Amino acid sequence: MEALIQPIINGLLLGGLYAVIALGLTTMFGIVKLVNLAHGDLMILSSYLSLTLVTYFGINPFLSILFVVPIMFVVGFAIQKYLLNRVLGKEMEPPLLVAFGISIILQNLLLLVFTPDAKGIMTDISVKTIQIGNIYLPVLYLVDFIIGCLVIFFLRLFYNKSFLGRAIRAASDDVGAARLMGIDTSNIFAIAMGIAMITAAIAGILVGMTFSFYPHTGSQYLIISFGVIIIGGLGSMKGALLGGIILAEAQLLGAHFVGPGYQLLIGYAVLLAILALRPQGIFGQAH
Amino acid sequence: MIREPFKYRWLVLGGIFLALATIPVWGSDYVLLLGMLFCLYVALAQMWNLLTGYSGLLSLGQQAFIGFGGYTMAVTTSYYNVNVWVSILTGGLFSVLLALVMSIFIFRMSGIFFAIGTWIFAEILLLWFSNWEFVKYGTGLFVKPPNPPSMTMIYYAALTVGVGALVTVYLILRSKIGLGLMAMRDNEAVSASMGVEIFRSKLFCFLVAAFITGTTAGILYVFQIFIQPYKAFAMDWTVNLVFIVIIGGIGTIEGPIVGTLIFVLLSQYLSEYGHISLLLLGIIAILIILVAPKGIMGTIQEKTGFELLSPRRLFPEEPM
Repeated sequence: MEALIQPIINGLLLGGLYAVIALGLTTMFGIVKLVNLAHGDLMILSSYLSLTLVTYFGINPFLSILFVVPIMFVVGFAIQKYLLNRVLGKEMEPPLLVAFGISIILQNLLLLVFTPDAKGIMTDISVKTIQIGNIYLPVLYLVDFIIGCLVIFFLRLFYNKSFLGRAIRAASDDVGAARLMGIDTSNIFAIAMGIAMITAAIAGILVGMTFSFYPHTGSQYLIISFGVIIIGGLGSMKGALLGGIILAEAQLLGAHFVGPGYQLLIGYAVLLAILALRPQGIFGQAH
Repeated sequence: MIREPFKYRWLVLGGIFLALATIPVWGSDYVLLLGMLFCLYVALAQMWNLLTGYSGLLSLGQQAFIGFGGYTMAVTTSYYNVNVWVSILTGGLFSVLLALVMSIFIFRMSGIFFAIGTWIFAEILLLWFSNWEFVKYGTGLFVKPPNPPSMTMIYYAALTVGVGALVTVYLILRSKIGLGLMAMRDNEAVSASMGVEIFRSKLFCFLVAAFITGTTAGILYVFQIFIQPYKAFAMDWTVNLVFIVIIGGIGTIEGPIVGTLIFVLLSQYLSEYGHISLLLLGIIAILIILVAPKGIMGTIQEKTGFELLSPRRLFPEEPM
């Protein structure tokens, strides 16, 4: 039992990170009805941006957030406005395939610029732990969890309370009615994507500090994000946190019982079982 | 408006087939290699098009069948000394079994969730095979068939699956199932109420696609001699198929053929530049979706009505 506490606590903390990884995907999925298959790669792009700032300009990794966030906002805004908005419509495939194309372009661009070698963003807290009795809390995981929860909290606040957040939700429900209410809808989805990319930027920097990453790692995190969404329900930010924690627990407990080589495999198997039993997610509502 | 089908279509198709069938006579080794890649990719692309373009099953997990079919062939030939052609067909049959198991899980999902489901399955297989001692983990297997076929034999096998895939798609689309599928593509609820058996038609196409994809992979890996999980179950397969079909024209029979021709030539031409070729394919695909969403053949058909193989049935006697 003692030995179990460590993976359970690590899973809980890792769940917070998974939630913030999935946040941008779930909001775009839920609000704009867009499945951004390039989400993982855009997140990894942020990891590389942060890495570049840290290595070439000696900026503290946490401070690099200040630079990476605005860059990613612009990237997200431009992608939505100039590419994805043009193909949004009744059919599901075109936006999906455009996003897929962006994903392939990004992966190969990163491969060209940064080589296929594993990279990581080094910080002072990388190896530090806090000891409580027999349990070791990795400081980095704790920071991931806290920042993850903060991002979810502020994003919820933004979408529920702010005028812009409510305008975005209104425009996704009914463009015509939103226009009548005085909302300029032409840029609204692009802003939503920009905001999704802000969360992806933060997630990317946290992932870059916590794990090593390659140009192709993006798709792995895309699947994790889908896992979080499938478990937590579509478009739900609170669900994302729960989904993240459940997925991370499944992975870490799986690794604990079966072996570390099977960590991802068990996570996927749990996902598949949930998809087959409850296609709308554990906390999702049938629609 | 109903147009008469292109008059000389059988002549054109026969000419292309004859040219392909006689490559071992007139072509160099390099042309033979290109011809083989062309035939194999046509087979794979036709199957992705059958699923996504006609059956409404967006699959991002074709690599599951490619890897599974390839590994079945590698294991049966190298471990059990099975005849290479028998083992290629066994690979196809094992892919069908895999598709049956997958269908239990993923046929309850629709749209994007179906796509993610197929992808997750392929990822699970990748992780499973790279952790499996029987297939030597991630290091991979050498294919050592008891009767190693010559390059010409492999080429004719590739030609057989290429043409076979084309004929299969054509026959399915001209059949009652195909009619139902196209009705379903236009309006799922109405076609269901008109008696189209949606679930069974979709499952049928899924299994057919699994068989041909698995068989094609077997032939490919007989040629490549070496199979490795990170390559065989790689997402790159589906990426390539998506680009081929999008560029050529999704939901047309000729599209995957034109797309494959462009893809094979482009990737040969750009092979020395490595990742730039994929980068360019990505850019071309996005441009095509933005400018001509129906792809090359889809746009040509729309503008001129030119069709080599039409899944539509015409009733020339009736006045239109």
